[in-house]
Amino acid sequence: MSARPGQTATEAKLKAFHEESALGKAYDIRLIRRLWPFVLPHWRWIAVSFAALLSMAALNLVRPLLMGEVVKHAASRDAALVMRAGAVLAASIVVQQLIGFVQMYALQNAGARSMADLRARIFSFLQRLRLSYFDRTPVGRLVTRATNDVDAVNEVFASGVLNAVGDLLQLVGIVGLMLALDWRLALIAFASMPIVGLLVNFVRKRSREAFRDIRTKTARLNSFLNEQVSGIAVVQAYAREAQMADEFDAINRQYRDANKASIYYEAILDAAIEMVSTLCIASVLWWVGFRGVGDHVVTFPLVVTFSQYIKQFFEPVSLLAQRYTILQGAMAGAERIFQLLDEPEVESESSEGGAPPARSGDARVATVAFEGVGFSYKPGVPVLRDVSFQVNRGEKVALVGATGAGKSTVLSLLLRLYEHDAGTISVTGRDVRDIARRSLREMFAVVPQDVFLFSGTVLGNLAMADDAPDRARAERALDRIGARELFERRPGGLDAPVDERGANFSAGERQLLAFARALYRDAPIVVLDEATASIDSDTEARLQVALEAVMENRTSIIIAHRLSTIRAADRIVVFHKGRVVETGTHDELIGREGMYARLHRLQFSGAPPAVASVPSVRG
Amino acid sequence: MPVTLWGHLFRHARAYVLGGVMLLGFQVAMNRIDWQSKACVDEIFSGDPRGVVRPASFMLGLAVIAFVLRLASRWFIFNAGRDVEYEVRRLLLDRLHKLGAAFYRKMSAGEIMSRSTGDLLQVRLLFGFGVLNMINVVFAFGSALQVMLRISLSLTAASFVMVPFLVVTTRSLSKGLFARTRSNQEAIGRLSDVLQTNLAGVRVVRSFALEARERRRFDAANEAYLHAGLALARLRGLMFPMVGAVASLGVLSCFFWGGRLLVLGPEHGGISQGEFFAFWLALGRVTWPLIALGFSLSIVQRGRASYARLKEIFDAQQEVTDGGSAPVAISGALSVRGLTYTHGDRAVLSDVSFELPKGRSLAIMGRTGSGKSTLALLLARLLPTPERTVFVDGMDVCSLPLSTVRGAIGYAQQDAFLFSTTVARNIAFSLEDPDSAEAMEKVRVAAREAQVLEEALGLPESFDTVVGERGVQLSGGQKQRIALSRALAREPVILVLDDPLSAVDAKTEAAILDAISRQAAERTVLLITNRVAAARRCERIAVLDEGKVAEQGTHDDLVRAGGIYALFDREQSVKHELESLGEAV
Repeated sequence: MSARPGQTATEAKLKAFHEESALGKAYDIRLIRRLWPFVLPHWRWIAVSFAALLSMAALNLVRPLLMGEVVKHAASRDAALVMRAGAVLAASIVVQQLIGFVQMYALQNAGARSMADLRARIFSFLQRLRLSYFDRTPVGRLVTRATNDVDAVNEVFASGVLNAVGDLLQLVGIVGLMLALDWRLALIAFASMPIVGLLVNFVRKRSREAFRDIRTKTARLNSFLNEQVSGIAVVQAYAREAQMADEFDAINRQYRDANKASIYYEAILDAAIEMVSTLCIASVLWWVGFRGVGDHVVTFPLVVTFSQYIKQFFEPVSLLAQRYTILQGAMAGAERIFQLLDEPEVESESSEGGAPPARSGDARVATVAFEGVGFSYKPGVPVLRDVSFQVNRGEKVALVGATGAGKSTVLSLLLRLYEHDAGTISVTGRDVRDIARRSLREMFAVVPQDVFLFSGTVLGNLAMADDAPDRARAERALDRIGARELFERRPGGLDAPVDERGANFSAGERQLLAFARALYRDAPIVVLDEATASIDSDTEARLQVALEAVMENRTSIIIAHRLSTIRAADRIVVFHKGRVVETGTHDELIGREGMYARLHRLQFSGAPPAVASVPSVRG
Repeated sequence: MPVTLWGHLFRHARAYVLGGVMLLGFQVAMNRIDWQSKACVDEIFSGDPRGVVRPASFMLGLAVIAFVLRLASRWFIFNAGRDVEYEVRRLLLDRLHKLGAAFYRKMSAGEIMSRSTGDLLQVRLLFGFGVLNMINVVFAFGSALQVMLRISLSLTAASFVMVPFLVVTTRSLSKGLFARTRSNQEAIGRLSDVLQTNLAGVRVVRSFALEARERRRFDAANEAYLHAGLALARLRGLMFPMVGAVASLGVLSCFFWGGRLLVLGPEHGGISQGEFFAFWLALGRVTWPLIALGFSLSIVQRGRASYARLKEIFDAQQEVTDGGSAPVAISGALSVRGLTYTHGDRAVLSDVSFELPKGRSLAIMGRTGSGKSTLALLLARLLPTPERTVFVDGMDVCSLPLSTVRGAIGYAQQDAFLFSTTVARNIAFSLEDPDSAEAMEKVRVAAREAQVLEEALGLPESFDTVVGERGVQLSGGQKQRIALSRALAREPVILVLDDPLSAVDAKTEAAILDAISRQAAERTVLLITNRVAAARRCERIAVLDEGKVAEQGTHDDLVRAGGIYALFDREQSVKHELESLGEAV
């Protein structure tokens, strides 16, 4: 489709971007070979389906003969024979339909089951993908791989594209039988075929293009509308409704016109097939009358049989264009799926070695040590350099430093969310690389800055890993942080519903739930990223209580933002640009006159901090 | 245009009538073909075989006419269906643009999208396939019945024994089919919810070692989708055999009884071979429309239900409507007088008042949840602003046209939403000719002001890089700064910035604050923030606490006053020190 006059370069580019061909080749042996292992375990269904398909094709070929038989007996004026032939005909139709059911159902079974396996495989793969992959890939795109793209592949089974094989056999069979029955009549019947062939070919090509056009336009249309809905606040605030409506109208119009083109081609095909069977019957009759009856070559039953064959001949032809598009869509979907599955950034499970360390809730076994640890997210941009520090059993250590100094990265490496590049990280004296990730992570209770709640109930969110949450334990956890009545006050109490991402809970409540979660988990090491958001003073006080409760009798590592938290720590590790610059207790650091001491002086001298004393620009 | 089913139908009455006429013509032609074929067969087998030429030629001609008429009927009616779909979709966006926060709280984006795709599809089927088949079945029945009844009443009766069964079968099948399609869609909806949560919460899942639980959740959803799919497949697979079996009953009795009549022959009250042939053609012709009747009835019913669901959006109460007065130029004085706003039974703002003269700057300070964002939304009437509470140039915003109010009060929201178009187009969102050189210059200036110019130029295709779901992923800070550029490029008379700094680092923050100060020299600026460093850049500061203005004054006044603001100031200087600890060494 050529660019509209007046269309700018950007518009043309955007159009190309959004309508970038969503369809690939219709047949790609490489992709089929990779899909095969998923289908193979369900080969029995496929076998049943193909057997059924063959018998259906055979029955289909016999049907016109049976019809002729009925008419023949009628002509011979024998009522009993007519009756019997009629019964055979009806029975054959019913049997054929039943086999048809078996055939489609078996095929769909094979498809649905292998696609469920494929989805499960994608899910497992996603669980092993490194976090760095998620950092640059939107979640929606990954969800699409496991849902829409798999469904596109499944369409091949669900829509019966594979039945084209049966159709082809049938076409050959029909032609063969017609020639065998009466080759001259068959040739007459096929006389109009070239014209029809040309017509079908003409329509098929264009109709395929129209289908492709519709597909890309549909995607564009829906994503535009979706964006208008999610960005409605921006559209309204900028008063751009009219312009957005115009833009939408252009897409909506193109979509409609693409559909109209397709309607036209489909209608041609549909009407042509209706016409062709009449044409064939007329030419057969014409030939029979003109030439045939004299030497008794052509009988009335044969005319009936031929007419029926002609009708059956054109049914599969009408489905060709549609099937081709489905196949293309499926291949494009498979291509995207395997592209994802080929992603090399997966967590290796090579480090499964050794049984998990003893886990007893006894805080004394847990120690954490970093030794010369280095790490970078992007090659060449180190985030941590030669970081060493130790957290002894039962100790509370505060990590302090500017945003971007590397504190959060320390936590991520500790849990092996990312793998460190240099040095050693050990937990209870063992290298984290020698502990299976799962066992390692079970030793930690994490309280993140940005609390993620799952949709479900309050209790379910507290218990998280438990399928059967322990209510008493959850209540005790809430008691310890002094927030039990706060949550029990809500309608439903602990069974109160939690919306998607905890949208119906305030930031403070979410923080409290995260603390309760950590207590419920009762892990030997607590890892805490203190929230920086300002919350009301009542919640602030509650959080302080919760913080103390969680750290009690546990090894704790806290990324601290509040001075009160820092002072409560046994030791403080000061980070600066990815390095540890100071370590020590509060008193030691004060005595050392370093960075920490400066900060402390500023805080308690009461003088306005120098940095903040820039005068306001006007007035 | 009346927003009802009949309204749409009448709007396209011409196409439907023309399509109907074509269908009538088509069925008449088919009727003639049946009779011509009877003549052919009778000539061949009972008369003069050479006499076949005339009727056979007629058949050929009629076949071509029927082809054209059939094609045209579909062209008219299906196109009308697409036209209705286009209209409804257009109307939908039009309504969605007019609806406010109250509506979007009630109806989720997913629900809106499901209505605009699934329900709209049903409506389109009603106006295309549904209408065509409802008209066609009448004509087809009439045209076939004329042939069949003229040939033999008893044979017609015998062949039609299956009609009631056929309609009942297809009707109930298509009902079941629809129900199962729905539950299939729900199952995949749940599956994507599970995936969405799992992937969005990937850090939590891994940190807490929740893999086993997540696996169980996924397996359950995957299994449910598989079974929903198979249940649908069973019914879909059953459909054709059932319909085929019922239809074959008709064929069976036609051949059985027709055979007997043939045996008798026309001279003894039976029928001729030609009549049998024509009858058979007519019966074959009427079978599909009868099958389609059952589906069409369901389509009509579903289309109506779907239309009702769309109508909920069309008829949703519009909270914010245009004021009556003519558009005027706004010079930029803003005043808020006794503004009280409640959401549900919670008072979000109570009796808020302040004056912001033209060209001055004011910061609204407050903790999360103090009502400051609500206040910002109310100014530009993005929420239903109570009358006589917000004034621009002394005029009540509720009395002005919305486009005037929103054009004058440039509100830039907290969460930076970008459209999936180029960076330049995003920044030039409010500019009339986004591709002109002039607009590009504005875009660059705005990007520089918002500290995003260098990063934008560093993107793969600089300003022409497409952002969003399918384009390049930007960091939260980058998005926020692009959104800020978008607000600056607009150059409104009154600039309202809602917490534009929440995701940027300290250095960028300082640079942006400088830019905001420069803006304040050119226009009226209202800055919503919870940071003292930002607030103090404004001439005056109003502190909101639990929906009330707790204090107002200059930075120095408020620090001296020793109220909430002074508390913020102390708290934040410590935080600020902590943050910039590194820089100080």
